[in-house]
Amino acid sequence: MSDPSGEMRELAKKLLENGEVDRIIGWEKGNLWYQSPPLFITRAEETDRLVFDDFAINSLVTYLLDERDSGKKTGIFVKGCDSRGLVRILQDKQIARESVYVIGLPCSGKKDPRQALSSGASESSQVPPAAKCEECLYPNPVIYDVIIGEAVEAKAKGDRFAAVKEIEAKTADEKYAYWTSQYSKCLRCLACRNVCPACNCRECAFDISKPRILAKENNLSHNMVYHLTRAFHAAGRCVECGECERVCPMGIPIMQLNKKIIKEINDLFGPYEAGVKLDETPPPLGTYQTSDPEEFM
Amino acid sequence: MSVKSSDAQEAWEPKILAFCCNWCSYAGADLAGLNRTQQPPNVRIIRVPCSGRVDPQFIMRAFQDGVDGVLVAGCHPGDCHYSTGNFFARRRFLLFQRIFDYIGIDPGRLQNRWISGAEGDKFAATVSKVTEDIRALGPNRKLRDEHE
Ligand code: SF4
Ligand code: SF4
Repeated sequence: MSDPSGEMRELAKKLLENGEVDRIIGWEKGNLWYQSPPLFITRAEETDRLVFDDFAINSLVTYLLDERDSGKKTGIFVKGCDSRGLVRILQDKQIARESVYVIGLPCSGKKDPRQALSSGASESSQVPPAAKCEECLYPNPVIYDVIIGEAVEAKAKGDRFAAVKEIEAKTADEKYAYWTSQYSKCLRCLACRNVCPACNCRECAFDISKPRILAKENNLSHNMVYHLTRAFHAAGRCVECGECERVCPMGIPIMQLNKKIIKEINDLFGPYEAGVKLDETPPPLGTYQTSDPEEFM
Repeated sequence: MSVKSSDAQEAWEPKILAFCCNWCSYAGADLAGLNRTQQPPNVRIIRVPCSGRVDPQFIMRAFQDGVDGVLVAGCHPGDCHYSTGNFFARRRFLLFQRIFDYIGIDPGRLQNRWISGAEGDKFAATVSKVTEDIRALGPNRKLRDEHE
């Protein structure tokens, strides 16, 4: 893939100069070769800092929520997976379509800084593609005002439910032992919630202390309730961006639960993919069919 | 709510929480009582306006606080007082039971039934059946909050 940075900078510069947008959100090169953190700019002279390299893995779309009441217009860069998160936020009516200028970037796969560190690599070519990119079904943005670069083909992938099936094959006690070993590590830092485009409520159930809807204690029981609740709130709405799992400092396999829910929704209520089409009917748990499976007679 | 058990094993009796819709199953429970139908005393009822009101968080809280099983009872599909609440509930609990199964909690601990106000006998039979199911599964420790 040719480096689109030049075109990105030019476009961003033009948008800021014309006053078409108030700010731009993209990525810049970090201090270390395996870091490309988010970049927020409001002045045309800063646009030269923009990059789109192997480590531009962060989705930027949840930053739009911070400015949802500001009336400002943001120019934002989105990869395929990020664009589905943007559709999520738009469908949930958290921001207006007019408040974003969406610059799409077809993506041939990104790399995870943590893998760069743990693999002992000294340059990007030695780092394997991020796990979520191996399973990506939408490398091309599904929503954009303008697109930079050529569309790329989704790679032929393995079964994206393979890990789920492995867990399904365990006995009840093995499953419980597995999940408790994972959830007991959770710090309840809420990073997974904060980064999630589906977790876009103005006031999260986990932040409300009066009345106490959900507890804040960090212990196994409450950690499990936290994870099940968050996954259930995102049920039918999760866009499989994998951001939650990427940001978890404890390496909890959060996607294994999200994917289970996606798999079951597909089986129970018909195939569904969240965040792909902007103008569509409510997500699966926001609607029903009288012909849904009946097990409660 | 707290329903901590005195953990004496030999005295263990299943502790079951039932969420009953005001417009059907709750009346069904009433009818079962009026008819003096025999049923085990293991079920505590919380009246809700609709099975659609039952949030999975309520269910998890019940397990955290020590119940061994939960029953959600609502109107037959098509009979909802609010037209559609139970259709949403049906989707929600079909999915939630499968999540329970996935994390290793026997899905039999979370049961759902449609019981109308006229079905006193069905209510009593359901309570008996659920009690027996949970008795067979034994006391639940999973999800329990031991810290309070
Ligand atoms: S739950 Fe995780 S994968 Fe799903 S939308 Fe949220 S951050 Fe993305
Ligand atoms: S990011 Fe990880 S440690 Fe933090 S709350 Fe989420 S699962 Fe727990």
